[in-house]
Amino acid sequence: MFPPRHGLIPMFWTITLLLLALAGGLLAVYAPTEATMGEVQKIFYLHLPVALNMFLACSVVFVGSVGYAWQRRPAWDDLAQAGAQVAVLLCSVTLITGMIWGRSAWGHWWTWSPRLTFSLMLWLLYVVYLMIRPSIESPQRRALVSAVYGMVAFVDVPLVYLSTKLLPDIHPSGVDLDPAMWVTLIAWSIPITMLTAGLIHARFALNGAVRGAATTEPPVIPTDHRPRMPEAHA
Amino acid sequence: MNTLRASLLLAAKDLRIERRGYQTLGLVIVLGVLIVVVLAMALGTGGAGPGPGAAAILWVAYLFGGTLCFEKTMAVERQDDALAGLLLAPIERGAVFAGKLLANLTLMFCLAAVITPVGILLFHFDLSAAPVRYALITTLGMIGFAAIGTLFAAAAASSRLQGGLLAMLVFPLTLPVVLTSTQLMLATFDPARAQSGAAGLSILVAFDVIFLAASWLAFDLLIEP
Repeated sequence: MFPPRHGLIPMFWTITLLLLALAGGLLAVYAPTEATMGEVQKIFYLHLPVALNMFLACSVVFVGSVGYAWQRRPAWDDLAQAGAQVAVLLCSVTLITGMIWGRSAWGHWWTWSPRLTFSLMLWLLYVVYLMIRPSIESPQRRALVSAVYGMVAFVDVPLVYLSTKLLPDIHPSGVDLDPAMWVTLIAWSIPITMLTAGLIHARFALNGAVRGAATTEPPVIPTDHRPRMPEAHA
Repeated sequence: MNTLRASLLLAAKDLRIERRGYQTLGLVIVLGVLIVVVLAMALGTGGAGPGPGAAAILWVAYLFGGTLCFEKTMAVERQDDALAGLLLAPIERGAVFAGKLLANLTLMFCLAAVITPVGILLFHFDLSAAPVRYALITTLGMIGFAAIGTLFAAAAASSRLQGGLLAMLVFPLTLPVVLTSTQLMLATFDPARAQSGAAGLSILVAFDVIFLAASWLAFDLLIEP
Protein backbone atom coordinates (compact mmCIF):
# COMPACT_ATOMS: atom_id res chain seq x y z
CA MET A 1 0.00 0.00 0.00
CA PHE A 2 1.05 3.64 -0.47
CA PRO A 3 3.05 5.07 2.43
CA PRO A 4 1.32 8.22 3.72
CA ARG A 5 4.54 10.29 3.52
CA HIS A 6 4.33 10.38 -0.28
CA GLY A 7 1.17 12.42 0.03
CA LEU A 8 -0.67 10.14 -2.39
CA ILE A 9 -3.48 9.41 0.05
CA PRO A 10 -4.35 13.08 0.82
CA MET A 11 -4.17 13.76 -2.93
CA PHE A 12 -6.48 10.78 -3.63
CA TRP A 13 -9.04 12.01 -1.10
CA THR A 14 -8.84 15.61 -2.40
CA ILE A 15 -9.49 14.44 -5.98
CA THR A 16 -12.36 12.17 -4.78
CA LEU A 17 -14.03 15.02 -2.88
CA LEU A 18 -13.54 17.44 -5.80
CA LEU A 19 -15.10 14.94 -8.22
CA LEU A 20 -17.95 14.35 -5.77
CA ALA A 21 -18.55 18.12 -5.56
CA LEU A 22 -18.49 18.30 -9.37
CA ALA A 23 -21.01 15.42 -9.57
CA GLY A 24 -23.19 17.26 -7.03
CA GLY A 25 -23.02 20.40 -9.16
CA LEU A 26 -23.99 18.46 -12.30
CA LEU A 27 -26.93 16.93 -10.43
CA ALA A 28 -28.15 20.37 -9.33
CA VAL A 29 -27.79 22.31 -12.59
CA TYR A 30 -27.20 19.95 -15.53
CA ALA A 31 -29.20 16.72 -15.01
CA PRO A 32 -32.72 17.01 -16.41
CA THR A 33 -35.70 16.44 -14.13
CA GLU A 34 -37.52 13.22 -15.00
CA ALA A 35 -41.05 13.77 -16.36
CA THR A 36 -43.12 11.39 -14.20
CA MET A 37 -41.19 11.16 -10.93
CA GLY A 38 -39.71 14.66 -10.72
CA GLU A 39 -36.82 15.50 -8.39
CA VAL A 40 -36.96 12.17 -6.48
CA GLN A 41 -35.65 10.37 -9.57
CA LYS A 42 -32.28 12.10 -9.00
CA ILE A 43 -31.59 9.70 -6.11
CA PHE A 44 -30.97 7.13 -8.86
CA TYR A 45 -27.55 8.75 -9.64
CA LEU A 46 -26.40 7.78 -6.15
CA HIS A 47 -28.36 4.51 -5.92
CA LEU A 48 -26.98 2.73 -9.00
CA PRO A 49 -23.22 3.47 -8.52
CA VAL A 50 -23.45 2.57 -4.81
CA ALA A 51 -25.26 -0.70 -5.65
CA LEU A 52 -22.58 -1.61 -8.23
CA ASN A 53 -19.74 -0.76 -5.82
CA MET A 54 -21.40 -2.97 -3.21
CA PHE A 55 -20.44 -5.96 -5.40
CA LEU A 56 -16.87 -4.62 -5.58
CA ALA A 57 -16.71 -4.60 -1.76
CA CYS A 58 -18.19 -8.14 -1.62
CA SER A 59 -15.46 -9.26 -4.07
CA VAL A 60 -12.82 -7.77 -1.73
CA VAL A 61 -14.25 -9.91 1.13
CA PHE A 62 -13.93 -12.97 -1.11
CA VAL A 63 -10.34 -12.14 -2.17
CA GLY A 64 -9.32 -11.52 1.46
CA SER A 65 -11.01 -14.75 2.60
CA VAL A 66 -9.39 -16.90 -0.10
CA GLY A 67 -6.04 -15.22 0.66
CA TYR A 68 -6.33 -16.03 4.36
CA ALA A 69 -7.46 -19.64 3.80
CA TRP A 70 -4.49 -20.09 1.44
CA GLN A 71 -1.64 -18.27 3.23
CA ARG A 72 -2.92 -17.76 6.82
CA ARG A 73 -1.48 -14.22 6.91
CA PRO A 74 -3.54 -11.87 9.16
CA ALA A 75 -3.32 -9.02 6.62
CA TRP A 76 -5.71 -10.95 4.34
CA ASP A 77 -8.21 -11.13 7.20
CA ASP A 78 -7.86 -7.36 7.73
CA LEU A 79 -8.65 -6.87 4.04
CA ALA A 80 -11.70 -9.19 4.15
CA GLN A 81 -13.00 -7.40 7.26
CA ALA A 82 -12.49 -4.00 5.60
CA GLY A 83 -14.40 -5.23 2.53
CA ALA A 84 -17.30 -6.45 4.71
CA GLN A 85 -17.47 -3.16 6.64
CA VAL A 86 -17.67 -1.15 3.41
CA ALA A 87 -20.08 -3.69 1.83
CA VAL A 88 -22.50 -3.27 4.77
CA LEU A 89 -22.24 0.54 4.51
CA LEU A 90 -22.89 0.52 0.75
CA CYS A 91 -25.68 -2.05 1.07
CA SER A 92 -27.35 0.14 3.74
CA VAL A 93 -27.13 3.19 1.43
CA THR A 94 -28.54 1.11 -1.46
CA LEU A 95 -31.44 -0.07 0.70
CA ILE A 96 -32.22 3.43 2.06
CA THR A 97 -32.02 5.19 -1.32
CA GLY A 98 -34.02 2.35 -2.90
CA MET A 99 -36.72 2.68 -0.24
CA ILE A 100 -36.96 6.47 -0.73
CA TRP A 101 -37.25 5.93 -4.48
CA GLY A 102 -39.79 3.12 -3.99
CA ARG A 103 -41.94 5.26 -1.69
CA SER A 104 -42.23 7.85 -4.45
CA ALA A 105 -42.62 5.40 -7.37
CA TRP A 106 -44.80 2.66 -5.85
CA GLY A 107 -46.30 4.38 -2.80
CA HIS A 108 -44.70 1.91 -0.35
CA TRP A 109 -41.42 2.06 1.56
CA TRP A 110 -40.98 -1.68 1.05
CA THR A 111 -42.21 -4.31 -1.41
CA TRP A 112 -40.93 -7.89 -1.70
CA SER A 113 -39.65 -7.33 -5.22
CA PRO A 114 -36.64 -9.47 -6.26
CA ARG A 115 -34.03 -6.72 -6.18
CA LEU A 116 -35.15 -5.26 -2.85
CA THR A 117 -35.22 -8.74 -1.31
CA PHE A 118 -31.80 -9.43 -2.84
CA SER A 119 -30.31 -6.26 -1.27
CA LEU A 120 -31.83 -7.11 2.12
CA MET A 121 -30.49 -10.68 2.03
CA LEU A 122 -27.04 -9.40 0.99
CA TRP A 123 -27.09 -6.89 3.84
CA LEU A 124 -27.97 -9.68 6.32
CA LEU A 125 -25.16 -11.90 4.95
CA TYR A 126 -22.44 -9.30 5.58
CA VAL A 127 -23.89 -7.86 8.81
CA VAL A 128 -23.70 -11.39 10.26
CA TYR A 129 -20.07 -11.62 9.04
CA LEU A 130 -19.22 -8.55 11.15
CA MET A 131 -21.39 -9.52 14.14
CA ILE A 132 -20.04 -13.06 14.49
CA ARG A 133 -16.35 -12.04 14.58
CA PRO A 134 -16.21 -10.68 18.16
CA SER A 135 -17.86 -13.91 19.42
CA ILE A 136 -14.78 -15.99 18.59
CA GLU A 137 -11.96 -15.44 21.08
CA SER A 138 -8.91 -16.89 19.31
CA PRO A 139 -7.71 -14.48 16.55
CA GLN A 140 -6.61 -17.39 14.33
CA ARG A 141 -9.94 -19.23 14.65
CA ARG A 142 -11.83 -15.96 14.17
CA ALA A 143 -9.96 -15.27 10.94
CA LEU A 144 -10.43 -18.84 9.69
CA VAL A 145 -14.17 -19.08 10.46
CA SER A 146 -14.63 -15.61 8.91
CA ALA A 147 -12.66 -16.67 5.83
CA VAL A 148 -14.84 -19.75 5.29
CA TYR A 149 -17.98 -17.66 5.89
CA GLY A 150 -16.68 -14.97 3.48
CA MET A 151 -16.06 -17.55 0.75
CA VAL A 152 -19.43 -19.30 1.18
CA ALA A 153 -21.20 -15.90 1.35
CA PHE A 154 -19.67 -14.86 -1.99
CA VAL A 155 -20.76 -18.16 -3.59
CA ASP A 156 -24.18 -17.46 -2.04
CA VAL A 157 -24.60 -14.06 -3.78
CA PRO A 158 -25.64 -15.46 -7.23
CA LEU A 159 -27.85 -18.05 -5.45
CA VAL A 160 -29.61 -15.28 -3.54
CA TYR A 161 -30.14 -13.46 -6.85
CA LEU A 162 -31.52 -16.62 -8.53
CA SER A 163 -33.86 -17.41 -5.63
CA THR A 164 -35.33 -13.90 -5.60
CA LYS A 165 -36.15 -14.22 -9.33
CA LEU A 166 -39.04 -16.49 -8.24
CA LEU A 167 -40.73 -13.48 -6.64
CA PRO A 168 -43.02 -11.22 -8.70
CA ASP A 169 -41.07 -8.19 -10.03
CA ILE A 170 -42.06 -4.52 -10.23
CA HIS A 171 -38.52 -3.07 -10.23
CA PRO A 172 -37.42 -1.30 -13.47
CA SER A 173 -35.39 -3.88 -15.44
CA GLY A 174 -33.59 -1.70 -18.00
CA VAL A 175 -32.15 1.80 -17.93
CA ASP A 176 -33.42 4.12 -20.70
CA LEU A 177 -31.61 7.40 -20.21
CA ASP A 178 -31.21 10.79 -21.85
CA PRO A 179 -27.52 11.62 -22.83
CA ALA A 180 -27.41 14.29 -20.08
CA MET A 181 -28.54 11.66 -17.58
CA TRP A 182 -25.77 9.30 -18.73
CA VAL A 183 -23.16 12.05 -18.23
CA THR A 184 -24.44 12.70 -14.69
CA LEU A 185 -24.50 8.96 -13.93
CA ILE A 186 -20.88 8.53 -15.06
CA ALA A 187 -19.90 11.69 -13.14
CA TRP A 188 -21.32 10.05 -9.99
CA SER A 189 -19.90 6.56 -10.68
CA ILE A 190 -16.25 7.71 -10.72
CA PRO A 191 -16.09 9.41 -7.28
CA ILE A 192 -18.30 6.71 -5.69
CA THR A 193 -15.90 4.01 -6.93
CA MET A 194 -12.93 6.07 -5.66
CA LEU A 195 -14.72 6.56 -2.34
CA THR A 196 -15.26 2.78 -2.06
CA ALA A 197 -11.59 2.06 -2.78
CA GLY A 198 -10.48 4.79 -0.35
CA LEU A 199 -12.76 3.54 2.42
CA ILE A 200 -11.61 -0.07 1.98
CA HIS A 201 -7.97 1.09 2.11
CA ALA A 202 -8.59 3.22 5.22
CA ARG A 203 -10.41 0.42 7.04
CA PHE A 204 -7.70 -2.07 5.99
CA ALA A 205 -5.01 0.15 7.52
CA LEU A 206 -7.11 0.71 10.66
CA ASN A 207 -7.86 -3.02 11.11
CA GLY A 208 -4.14 -3.76 10.79
CA ALA A 209 -3.30 -1.08 13.38
CA VAL A 210 -5.95 -2.40 15.80
CA ARG A 211 -4.64 -5.96 15.39
CA GLY A 212 -1.06 -4.71 15.90
CA ALA A 213 -2.06 -2.84 19.07
CA ALA A 214 -3.89 -5.91 20.43
CA THR A 215 -0.93 -8.25 19.86
CA THR A 216 1.87 -5.88 21.03
CA GLU A 217 3.21 -6.64 24.50
CA PRO A 218 2.99 -3.71 26.98
CA PRO A 219 6.43 -2.05 27.53
CA VAL A 220 8.42 -3.54 30.40
CA ILE A 221 9.55 -0.89 32.92
CA PRO A 222 13.04 -1.67 34.31
CA THR A 223 13.10 -2.36 38.04
CA ASP A 224 15.34 0.64 38.85
CA HIS A 225 13.01 3.13 37.16
CA ARG A 226 9.79 2.06 38.80
CA PRO A 227 8.00 4.96 40.52
CA ARG A 228 8.41 4.69 44.26
CA MET A 229 5.60 5.02 46.72
CA PRO A 230 5.98 8.15 48.85
CA GLU A 231 7.10 7.26 52.30
CA ALA A 232 4.54 7.73 55.01
CA HIS A 233 5.31 10.47 57.52
CA ALA A 234 5.12 9.58 61.13
CA MET B 1 -11.90 -48.28 4.48
CA ASN B 2 -13.62 -46.40 1.70
CA THR B 3 -15.26 -43.01 2.26
CA LEU B 4 -18.84 -44.22 1.82
CA ARG B 5 -18.46 -47.05 4.36
CA ALA B 6 -16.74 -44.69 6.83
CA SER B 7 -19.53 -42.12 6.43
CA LEU B 8 -22.25 -44.72 7.00
CA LEU B 9 -20.43 -46.09 10.07
CA LEU B 10 -20.10 -42.59 11.55
CA ALA B 11 -23.75 -41.76 10.90
CA ALA B 12 -24.80 -45.11 12.44
CA LYS B 13 -22.61 -44.32 15.47
CA ASP B 14 -24.32 -40.93 15.98
CA LEU B 15 -27.79 -42.43 15.54
CA ARG B 16 -26.95 -45.28 17.97
CA ILE B 17 -25.96 -42.68 20.61
CA GLU B 18 -29.24 -40.87 19.89
CA ARG B 19 -31.32 -44.06 20.18
CA ARG B 20 -29.95 -44.73 23.67
CA GLY B 21 -31.45 -41.56 25.15
CA TYR B 22 -33.42 -39.67 22.45
CA GLN B 23 -31.91 -36.51 23.98
CA THR B 24 -31.65 -34.51 20.74
CA LEU B 25 -34.78 -35.83 19.06
CA GLY B 26 -36.92 -35.33 22.18
CA LEU B 27 -35.70 -31.75 22.47
CA VAL B 28 -36.16 -30.77 18.81
CA ILE B 29 -39.60 -32.36 18.51
CA VAL B 30 -40.88 -30.48 21.57
CA LEU B 31 -39.28 -27.27 20.23
CA GLY B 32 -40.89 -27.85 16.81
CA VAL B 33 -44.33 -28.47 18.31
CA LEU B 34 -43.93 -25.33 20.44
CA ILE B 35 -43.03 -23.21 17.39
CA VAL B 36 -46.03 -24.53 15.42
CA VAL B 37 -48.41 -23.99 18.37
CA VAL B 38 -47.09 -20.47 19.09
CA LEU B 39 -47.41 -19.48 15.41
CA ALA B 40 -50.88 -21.06 15.20
CA MET B 41 -51.96 -18.98 18.21
CA ALA B 42 -50.28 -15.82 16.89
CA LEU B 43 -52.08 -16.16 13.55
CA GLY B 44 -55.43 -16.56 15.27
CA THR B 45 -57.16 -19.71 16.44
CA GLY B 46 -60.65 -18.88 15.17
CA GLY B 47 -60.11 -18.40 11.41
CA ALA B 48 -59.70 -20.81 8.50
CA GLY B 49 -55.89 -20.98 8.99
CA PRO B 50 -53.06 -19.66 6.81
CA GLY B 51 -53.85 -22.06 3.91
CA PRO B 52 -50.79 -22.74 1.70
CA GLY B 53 -48.80 -20.44 4.03
CA ALA B 54 -48.84 -23.33 6.54
CA ALA B 55 -46.02 -24.94 4.55
CA ALA B 56 -43.86 -21.84 5.15
CA ILE B 57 -44.71 -21.91 8.87
CA LEU B 58 -43.70 -25.59 9.04
CA TRP B 59 -40.39 -24.58 7.47
CA VAL B 60 -39.70 -22.25 10.41
CA ALA B 61 -40.08 -25.25 12.76
CA TYR B 62 -37.78 -27.40 10.56
CA LEU B 63 -35.13 -24.66 10.52
CA PHE B 64 -34.95 -24.06 14.27
CA GLY B 65 -35.19 -27.78 15.05
CA GLY B 66 -32.51 -28.52 12.46
CA THR B 67 -30.10 -25.96 13.93
CA LEU B 68 -30.45 -27.62 17.32
CA CYS B 69 -29.72 -31.02 15.70
CA PHE B 70 -26.49 -29.65 14.15
CA GLU B 71 -25.35 -28.28 17.49
CA LYS B 72 -26.13 -31.48 19.40
CA THR B 73 -24.58 -33.98 16.97
CA MET B 74 -21.33 -31.99 17.03
CA ALA B 75 -21.44 -31.37 20.81
CA VAL B 76 -21.36 -35.16 21.33
CA GLU B 77 -17.83 -35.14 19.89
CA ARG B 78 -16.61 -32.60 22.43
CA GLN B 79 -17.16 -35.01 25.34
CA ASP B 80 -14.02 -36.95 26.37
CA ASP B 81 -12.10 -35.42 23.43
CA ALA B 82 -13.95 -37.71 21.03
CA LEU B 83 -13.32 -35.23 18.21
CA ALA B 84 -9.54 -35.65 18.54
CA GLY B 85 -9.99 -39.43 18.28
CA LEU B 86 -12.24 -39.03 15.26
CA LEU B 87 -9.71 -36.80 13.50
CA LEU B 88 -6.87 -39.22 14.26
CA ALA B 89 -8.80 -42.12 12.68
CA PRO B 90 -7.41 -43.14 9.25
CA ILE B 91 -10.39 -41.78 7.32
CA GLU B 92 -10.88 -38.73 5.15
CA ARG B 93 -12.24 -35.54 6.73
CA GLY B 94 -14.86 -35.60 3.98
CA ALA B 95 -16.16 -38.88 5.43
CA VAL B 96 -16.59 -37.19 8.82
CA PHE B 97 -18.59 -34.42 7.11
CA ALA B 98 -20.74 -36.90 5.20
CA GLY B 99 -21.37 -38.98 8.35
CA LYS B 100 -22.46 -35.95 10.35
CA LEU B 101 -24.60 -34.72 7.45
CA LEU B 102 -26.37 -38.10 7.17
CA ALA B 103 -27.03 -38.21 10.92
CA ASN B 104 -28.35 -34.62 10.87
CA LEU B 105 -30.59 -35.32 7.88
CA THR B 106 -32.01 -38.45 9.53
CA LEU B 107 -32.83 -36.46 12.67
CA MET B 108 -34.42 -33.68 10.58
CA PHE B 109 -36.58 -36.22 8.70
CA CYS B 110 -37.74 -37.68 12.03
CA LEU B 111 -38.55 -34.14 13.19
CA ALA B 112 -40.53 -33.44 9.99
CA ALA B 113 -42.40 -36.75 10.34
CA VAL B 114 -43.79 -35.59 13.70
CA ILE B 115 -44.16 -31.83 13.11
CA THR B 116 -45.87 -32.01 9.70
CA PRO B 117 -49.00 -33.89 10.93
CA VAL B 118 -49.23 -31.43 13.86
CA GLY B 119 -49.10 -28.51 11.39
CA ILE B 120 -51.68 -30.17 9.09
CA LEU B 121 -53.97 -30.65 12.08
CA LEU B 122 -53.65 -27.17 13.54
CA PHE B 123 -53.66 -25.18 10.28
CA HIS B 124 -56.34 -27.24 8.41
CA PHE B 125 -53.66 -27.63 5.72
CA ASP B 126 -54.70 -29.99 2.89
CA LEU B 127 -51.54 -31.89 1.95
CA SER B 128 -53.43 -34.48 -0.11
CA ALA B 129 -53.22 -32.28 -3.25
CA ALA B 130 -49.47 -32.99 -3.71
CA PRO B 131 -47.94 -35.09 -0.88
CA VAL B 132 -45.06 -36.44 -2.98
CA ARG B 133 -44.09 -32.98 -4.24
CA TYR B 134 -44.26 -31.64 -0.68
CA ALA B 135 -41.90 -34.42 0.50
CA LEU B 136 -39.56 -33.81 -2.46
CA ILE B 137 -39.30 -30.04 -1.89
CA THR B 138 -38.82 -30.53 1.86
CA THR B 139 -36.10 -33.14 1.31
CA LEU B 140 -34.22 -31.01 -1.22
CA GLY B 141 -34.48 -27.92 0.98
CA MET B 142 -33.26 -29.85 4.02
CA ILE B 143 -30.20 -31.23 2.17
CA GLY B 144 -28.93 -27.72 1.32
CA PHE B 145 -29.74 -26.41 4.79
CA ALA B 146 -28.09 -29.37 6.55
CA ALA B 147 -24.94 -29.10 4.40
CA ILE B 148 -24.27 -25.51 5.54
CA GLY B 149 -25.44 -26.32 9.08
CA THR B 150 -23.06 -29.28 9.43
CA LEU B 151 -20.16 -27.17 8.13
CA PHE B 152 -20.65 -24.32 10.61
CA ALA B 153 -21.52 -26.67 13.49
CA ALA B 154 -17.93 -27.89 13.11
CA ALA B 155 -16.75 -24.27 13.34
CA ALA B 156 -18.92 -23.68 16.40
CA ALA B 157 -17.67 -26.84 18.13
CA SER B 158 -14.01 -26.02 17.46
CA SER B 159 -14.24 -22.30 18.32
CA ARG B 160 -16.34 -22.50 21.50
CA LEU B 161 -18.86 -20.22 19.81
CA GLN B 162 -21.52 -18.93 22.18
CA GLY B 163 -24.83 -20.80 22.08
CA GLY B 164 -27.42 -19.61 19.60
CA LEU B 165 -24.87 -18.07 17.27
CA LEU B 166 -24.90 -21.10 14.98
CA ALA B 167 -28.39 -20.07 13.85
CA MET B 168 -27.01 -16.60 13.04
CA LEU B 169 -24.30 -18.11 10.85
CA VAL B 170 -26.53 -20.63 9.08
CA PHE B 171 -29.76 -18.69 8.44
CA PRO B 172 -28.41 -15.89 6.19
CA LEU B 173 -26.37 -18.35 4.11
CA THR B 174 -29.31 -20.70 3.61
CA LEU B 175 -31.86 -17.97 2.84
CA PRO B 176 -31.84 -18.84 -0.91
CA VAL B 177 -32.82 -22.46 -0.12
CA VAL B 178 -35.50 -21.34 2.35
CA LEU B 179 -36.91 -18.75 -0.06
CA THR B 180 -36.93 -21.16 -3.01
CA SER B 181 -38.52 -23.98 -0.96
CA THR B 182 -41.27 -21.78 0.46
CA GLN B 183 -41.97 -20.22 -2.96
CA LEU B 184 -42.22 -23.72 -4.44
CA MET B 185 -44.60 -24.78 -1.67
CA LEU B 186 -46.80 -21.75 -2.36
CA ALA B 187 -46.69 -22.51 -6.11
CA THR B 188 -47.68 -26.14 -5.42
CA PHE B 189 -50.61 -25.46 -3.11
CA ASP B 190 -51.77 -22.05 -4.39
CA PRO B 191 -53.12 -22.33 -8.01
CA ALA B 192 -52.73 -18.54 -8.51
CA ARG B 193 -48.92 -18.83 -8.25
CA ALA B 194 -48.39 -22.13 -10.11
CA GLN B 195 -46.27 -20.61 -12.93
CA SER B 196 -43.02 -20.40 -10.93
CA GLY B 197 -43.11 -24.08 -9.89
CA ALA B 198 -41.23 -25.86 -12.70
CA ALA B 199 -38.05 -23.77 -12.83
CA GLY B 200 -37.84 -23.59 -9.04
CA LEU B 201 -37.24 -27.32 -8.54
CA SER B 202 -34.15 -27.39 -10.78
CA ILE B 203 -32.85 -24.24 -9.01
CA LEU B 204 -33.27 -26.03 -5.66
CA VAL B 205 -31.30 -29.06 -6.95
CA ALA B 206 -28.53 -26.72 -8.19
CA PHE B 207 -28.38 -25.00 -4.76
CA ASP B 208 -28.02 -28.38 -3.05
CA VAL B 209 -25.13 -29.39 -5.34
CA ILE B 210 -23.34 -26.05 -4.74
CA PHE B 211 -23.88 -26.10 -0.96
CA LEU B 212 -22.79 -29.75 -0.69
CA ALA B 213 -19.63 -29.14 -2.73
CA ALA B 214 -18.73 -25.91 -0.88
CA SER B 215 -19.32 -27.49 2.57
CA TRP B 216 -17.41 -30.68 1.70
CA LEU B 217 -14.40 -28.60 0.58
CA ALA B 218 -14.48 -26.13 3.50
CA PHE B 219 -15.08 -28.71 6.27
CA ASP B 220 -11.41 -29.70 6.26
CA LEU B 221 -10.42 -26.08 7.04
CA LEU B 222 -12.78 -25.66 9.98
CA ILE B 223 -12.67 -28.92 11.91
CA GLU B 224 -10.12 -28.93 14.74
CA PRO B 225 -9.89 -30.85 18.02
